[in-house]
Parts: sequence; structure tokens; C-alpha cells
Amino acid sequence: MAKPTEVRTMSEAGSTYIDAFPAEAKVVRAAFYSSFLALAIGGLFGVVQTLHRTDVYRFMDSADYYTVLTAHGVLLAITFTIFFLVGVFTWAITTSLDRGVEDIRFTWAWYGLMVLGTALVAIPIFAGFTDSIDMSASVLFTFYAPLQAHPLFYLGLVLFVVGTWLAGVDWFRSWLAWKAENPDERIPLPTFMVLTTTLMWYIATLGVAIAILAFLLPWSLGLIDSVNPLLTRTLFWFFGHPVVYFWLMPAYMMWYIMLPKVSGGKLFSDPLARVVFVLFLILSVPTGIHHQYLDPGIAEGFKFIAMTNTMFLLLPSLLTAFTVVASMEHGARQRGGEGYFGWLKALPWRDPVFTGMALAGLMFAAAGFSGMINAGMNINYLVHNTFWVVGHFHLTVGTAVALTFMAVTYWFLPQVTGRALWNRSVALVQVVLWFVGMTFMSNAMHRAGLLGVPRRTAEPQYDGFEFEAAVGSVGELNAQIALGGILLTLSLALFFANVVGTAFNGKSDSLPANGYAETLSGSEDAPLVLDNLKLWTAIAVVLVIFAYTFPILSIVDRGGLFGPDVNPFPVSLDTLPVLGLVLEQYVTTALATAGELTGSIVTEVTP
Amino acid sequence: MNIHTYEKLWLVAAMVLIVGFIATITYGSVGLGITMVGDQQPTIEPSEISDDERFGEPRVEHVGENEYEAYVVAQTFAFSPDPIEVPANSEVTFYVTARDVIHSFSVAGTNINTMVIPGEIAEMTVEFDEPGEYGIVCNEYCGSGHHDMEGMLHVVPEDEFDMTELSVDADDELELGDEAAFNVSVENRMLDDLETTATLEIGDEMLEEELTVAGGDLEETTFTVDTTDLGEGEHDWTVAIDNYEESGTLTVVEELETDDENEDDDGDNGSDGDDDENDDGETDGGEDDE
Ligand code: HEM
Ligand SMILES: [Cu+2]
Ligand SMILES: [Cu+2]
Repeated sequence: MAKPTEVRTMSEAGSTYIDAFPAEAKVVRAAFYSSFLALAIGGLFGVVQTLHRTDVYRFMDSADYYTVLTAHGVLLAITFTIFFLVGVFTWAITTSLDRGVEDIRFTWAWYGLMVLGTALVAIPIFAGFTDSIDMSASVLFTFYAPLQAHPLFYLGLVLFVVGTWLAGVDWFRSWLAWKAENPDERIPLPTFMVLTTTLMWYIATLGVAIAILAFLLPWSLGLIDSVNPLLTRTLFWFFGHPVVYFWLMPAYMMWYIMLPKVSGGKLFSDPLARVVFVLFLILSVPTGIHHQYLDPGIAEGFKFIAMTNTMFLLLPSLLTAFTVVASMEHGARQRGGEGYFGWLKALPWRDPVFTGMALAGLMFAAAGFSGMINAGMNINYLVHNTFWVVGHFHLTVGTAVALTFMAVTYWFLPQVTGRALWNRSVALVQVVLWFVGMTFMSNAMHRAGLLGVPRRTAEPQYDGFEFEAAVGSVGELNAQIALGGILLTLSLALFFANVVGTAFNGKSDSLPANGYAETLSGSEDAPLVLDNLKLWTAIAVVLVIFAYTFPILSIVDRGGLFGPDVNPFPVSLDTLPVLGLVLEQYVTTALATAGELTGSIVTEVTP
Repeated sequence: MNIHTYEKLWLVAAMVLIVGFIATITYGSVGLGITMVGDQQPTIEPSEISDDERFGEPRVEHVGENEYEAYVVAQTFAFSPDPIEVPANSEVTFYVTARDVIHSFSVAGTNINTMVIPGEIAEMTVEFDEPGEYGIVCNEYCGSGHHDMEGMLHVVPEDEFDMTELSVDADDELELGDEAAFNVSVENRMLDDLETTATLEIGDEMLEEELTVAGGDLEETTFTVDTTDLGEGEHDWTVAIDNYEESGTLTVVEELETDDENEDDDGDNGSDGDDDENDDGETDGGEDDE
């Protein structure tokens, strides 16, 4: 139901987002707060992990470590990132199309579904901490079969993903409605970014949807006996690699449309930004097998194709690096900066939004180097599944993405609350502290990985041997990891102080207006074909078919669709799933009239 | 489209970099003939591992001059065999499979690293030039005891390496005047012949016998000792070849109590290290006691 189009221009002086779109601002704010809640809990678990692994401080049983790690992975890699993304994307669509969502109830509906999904996932994970509830899901965020979680875990994931699909529908709806009214206009850049990312997400999530709906959920409910572990794993990585770009794209969007603005300049090139997002749409999915270089049962040739695609995926990131630096330089020169490097001094380093994003970008460059090592099929053997990898992705998602999100939050919070930021100095200290903490933690993790220290391990201290450091010692690395973890936690505390402080601040009338960076070379320079989303989607689908059909056929041919005879390895203690119980109970209640029956059945089916 | 000159330069440089990477790695893997873990091996039913020719009994085998094959099974939360022992200056192909969930087989600090997936067999060929001791870890989460899953890889100096298994079958208790028999069996799991000397020490006596065990074969010999020479009492004995030793105690008594015959079944010499049901005086060898 299209609303009558009110004319709400973002250029209105002093008009914040909440002034222009009060209803939408509420959803965006809710999405941000959900995201921050996940960050708070997940971050706390992060420091618990660093202290436990390094044996600096252990207060729980090592078996519980894996429950903590599951929660850390899911809450941060899925919940924190994606809730923030839907908030930013909703802001980007409404702001750049300059129209509200088509139906705010629909918007709340997908947000609600995502919340429900998260709750269902969280219940069995957290139940893993106590023996009194017969439920658990300590399967880590990759949930590789034959490790088996409680069905609620899988069900929750599905609902969460469906929520994001509906969010995508919402954004496409807005765009189609806008296009009907503006048939000759180019897609505004932020909207273009949202749409290409959403298309990529639709393709990518098919993998995990099939893995869960066709195999893991029925298997956890006892409807099928067995699964093919290599198949479900491959389907997971079909989704698992592009999800990386799903985290990264909102950060890239911020680097393209906010960083130039806060630097005081303009985006260097709109057409190249479009090229970059198109490349991500095309290349993100057919690369997932690079996470499986070491998997038996997948031919070397398929791994090679994945590697080639992965290397080409460097291109959009290298282009981004160029554009971001060029835009910052333009901004600095507008502010009076001069010289080859002298312009750097003219950048607004006192602005936490700028500094946070710039530091995040710097760390992303460092991550690029360790990423190239990971991507090399042969060098990967040295680092696969070691602590090196954890060091790598705390630079990418843990900093490039997370720090960018935290930094832009300082700009977004006033926009969606109508209140001034509580304290800018605290914010500045916060982003710098994150950078410092992560430098310690991630650097030491990389080095430990080279010694062979494994990831995902509660006690990487063994009876038969010790890891030998050529430079320094394992003790020194552990100290750096623990120190880094503590600094990161302090940084998080400052972040939440600002979020809460701002929420309790009074309303302010002197907030900056909503908006984003203008461009030096605008969309009029971009060839029309770039906006042909159908074409790019078709190419993306063809590449996916090309990269995945044969590996998947071969895996199914080798191991069978439902696998060799593997036994479920319930990390959920209860093999008779509560969901089954509930269903059974429901059906029986309908048939039988007496309420007493229900009670006795519950006790009967409990094993 | 209007592209800035610098941007064009950057684009070209980026493409050169990417193509360079791909070329280097292609050369590294194709040109140098390094093989990756792939789909070379057939699948295996995890429930049938125990009956499998290769994995039923996880072990190292000698398959050619300086060439070995190691069949390794990973399961929660251990590797077998453990330790894995191979000689320096050899080429070892590892075949690794899993009995239950996904594990890894990763030799710490090296690029010997593979996922181990139930139903699949990972194959990896490694050259060992120098002796050394390495830890093996499982670096894929496999359940609540994942951090306890470890093993060792011993690369022993070539001249100290053999695949000899010694087992001795002897009586525990005999009557004075009986003949004590020590049935010694020596298995040589290497391909080359093994020339060695077996010795038995008991009391003051020392018996010796030259043995030649053909590659992949088993030789048996029997030492006999007259208990009259030993006299009544407890006698410690040791059978040794090369680095291996088996020992036990023989008790010689005046008269045996006449309950059931205390005899042991002599046909049981061929058993090896992982058979724990030792009857009577039989002790199993096979562990290198270096
Ligand atoms: C206070 C800040 C943080 C600390 C101290 C921290 C610490 C850690 C540690 C020590 C591990 C490795 C556990 C292991 O492999 O045994 C880990 C894993 C992980 N972290 Fe963090 N982290 C922090 C923030 C983040 C953030 C912001 C993200 C993402 C946005 C993140 C995402 C992940 C993921 C995805 C894993 C892997 C989980 C798995 O292997 O299943 N972390 N973290
Ligand atoms: Cu990836
Ligand atoms: Cu493990």
C-alpha cells in the first residue's frame, strides 16, 4: 500500500532522519539496539575466551568454553552484524530514495521475525550452560554435522534468514515504487548498493537454507537418519563465504558515502563504486570452496576454480582502497591540506566517526595481507584452522566491520534518536582503544597460528609437546592476547556508555542534517548497463552454477545424498527433541479430551 | 565512463597482482607437482572402519624403498596409532579417516594439515628429511573434549628405525625337572630382510640364536632350558633382539599343584601389540623402548 508521497527532502536544513522519517527511525533504532545487545553479550564472551584459552583466568569448565564460543560466534558474526546491516540499509533506502517504506507494518514484521529467530537460536545455546534443561547447541556457528544441535537452533536460524529475505523485499518494494515515479532517473548510489548486496544475499542464503531445511532440521527431528557431512559442510560454505561480504558491504557503503562526507569532501567516483558492488554480486558466492581447500572428497580442480575466483575478488577491495584514500585526500585538500603526505594532517582526526572509520580501513589493509595467505591453496595448509585465522577475521569482521559500525553509530545515534551524542571525547578514546587492543590481540593470534596453535580450543596446552616460538615465547603471545582482549572489552564499555548516555540525553535542536556524500564524478558518468540488475544477477547465477554444480554432484555421487552411515553426535544432550515433544503433545491434546492425559504423555515420552 | 588516470594505473596494477598470484600458485601446485588433499581416495562407511583392510588396524606400513604408508583413524578424542613412528629420509603417505565427527589431522608448526571427515579419506604425501618429534593436534572442534585430542609423530633416525615386533610365549610355573620352553616370534614388517640375534637370559644362563627374518615375514624360534639347571625358586628372564626386550619370571617348584593343567595355548605367538589378553607368561612386544 503505497503511501501518498509526501515531499520530504533530506536537503532541508537541519532536518535529521528522525524528523524526516519518524516511523522508520524507530525501526532503524530498534535494529541498532538489537545489534548492540548482541555485541555486548558477545563481546563479554570474547574476553572470557581470551582469558580461558591463554590460561590467564579460568572460572568455568572447559566443556562450557564451546558453549561460550558458540554464543560469541553466533551473536557477533550473525546477530550483531546483520541487525546493524538492516538498520543501515533501511536508512540508506529511505534517505537516498527520499521516501518512507511502503508499509511500516511490514517493516516491523520482518524485524520481529528476525528477533524471534534470534531468540529461538539463543535458547538452546544458553540452555547448554545448565544441566537442568535438556537442551543445547554447542555446535559453534558453523554447525558442522554430525555434530547436532537442538532443532530450535536450526529453526531459529531459518526464521532469522527469512526475516532478512523479507527485509530485502521491503527495500526492493521501495525501489520499484520509486522507479515507477522516476522512470528516467539513475538508481541513487546507496540504493544501488543495498539492492546488489541483497541480490547477493538471496543467492548465498540458498545454500544454508537447503542445508538446514532439507537435511539438518529433519535430521535433528529424527525424520531422517543420517546426513552427508561433506555435503552439508559444502552447502554451509556456499553461504559462509558470501556472508563475509554481507558483513562487509554495509561497512563499504559507509566508506563510500559517509567517510568522504566526514572528511570534508566528496566521493571520488560514483561509477567505480557501482562497478565494485557489481563485482561483489558476481564473485562472492562462487568462492566458498576456498574454505575447504583441506577437505578430502573435493577434487583439486574445483578448489582451483574457487581460488581463481577468490583472487579476482581482491579487485573490488583494491579498487575500494583507492577510492577511499582518494576521497579522503580530496576532503583533506578541501580543508586546506597540502603536500604529498601533508594532507593527512588536515583530516578531522578529532572526529570519532572519521577516526574510527579510517582506523578500520587501515586494519582492513593489514587483513588483506593475511587474507592473501589464506587464499593461496598451498600456503593455506600452514594456517588452516590455526589461531592465525582467528587473528585474520578479527581484523576483517572484528575491526573493519565492527569498528566502522561503532564509529558511524556516533553519527547515526543522533539521527535516529534526535538526541546529541553523549560524549565525543569518550567516543574518540573508544575507537582508538579498539584499534590498539586489536593490534595486540590479532597480531599475537597470527603469530601463534604460525606455531600451529589451533583455533576453537579451550586448552591449547598439550601433554606430549609444546609449541615452539622462534621469536618470543608462547607465554608472551598469551599475554598479548589477554591484554588485547581486556583493552577491547574496555573499549566496548565506553561504547555502551555512549549509547546509553545518548539515549538518556535530552532532545536537541542543533543536530546535523541527515545526508551522505556527494560525488566528484557522478552517476551521469556511469554507463547505464551498470544499473541492469537483471543482467548482473544472471551472470552471478551462471557463475555459481559453474562453480558448484560439479562439486556438489560429485559429493552426492561419492557419499550419497544422505551420506554414509554417520551417527548423530548430539551436542544437544537430548536426542528426543523438545520440538517433537511439543508437536506430539499438541496432536495428542487435540485428540484426547482430558487434560490429565497431556501430563502423563509428557512424562512418557521423556527418555 | 570517465576514469581518472591514477585510477586506471591502479586498476592495471591490481590486475597484474591478481594474475601474478594465480600464476605463482598454479606453478607452485602444478609445476612443482605438489598435490593437495583432493578426491583421490574412495569413500568409506564409518561403521565399517573396524573391518577395513587399511583402517581396521591403524598402522604404518613399509611399501617401497624409503616409502611408507600410514593409516590413521581419528575419533573423539584420540588418534590411532599414537605415536606414529616413521624414519627420517623417507616419503610417507598418510591416509586419514574419521569414525564419528569431523576432526583434523594437523602436525603442529608444519603444513601437514588436513580435515578428516567421516566417510572420506584424506590422502597426503610428506617427505621427512630430518629426525624430530612433532605434536599432532585436532584443530577442528569435535565436541566437549576437543582440547584433549592430541597425538605424536616421531621421525626417528633412519638407522634406529625398524618395524620389528617381538613376542614371547613362556611358562609361568614349572615343576623341577621340566623343560622350560621360550617360544620367540619375530615379525619383520619392513620390506628388507632383518638379520638379528635373539638372546635369552635366565639365571646365569645366556642363550643366543642368529635369526634372519625375511621382509614382511615372521620367524619363530624356541629356546629351551632345563629347570634342573635353574633350581627351585623364581627366575627372571629376558628375551631380546635389537632394541626390543620381553621379560618375565619363571617359578620352578618342587611339585605342581594338580588342579587344572596350567598349560597355555602355544599357537598364540603371532599376536601383536594391541592384544591385551595375555595369557600366562606370554608378553607382547612391539613397542620400541629407545
Ligand atoms: C571484545 C572483543 C573480542 C574478543 C576479546 C574476542 C575474542 C575471540 C577469541 C579469543 C576467539 C577465538 C576462540 C577460539 O578459537 O578458541 C574469538 C572467535 C571469534 N570471534 Fe571474537 N572477539 C572479540 C570481538 C569479536 C567481534 C566484534 C566479532 C565479529 C563481529 C568477533 C567474531 C568472532 C568469530 C566469528 C569467532 C569464531 C568463532 C568460532 O570459531 O566458531 N569477535 N573471538
Ligand atoms: Cu571466505
Ligand atoms: Cu577436535
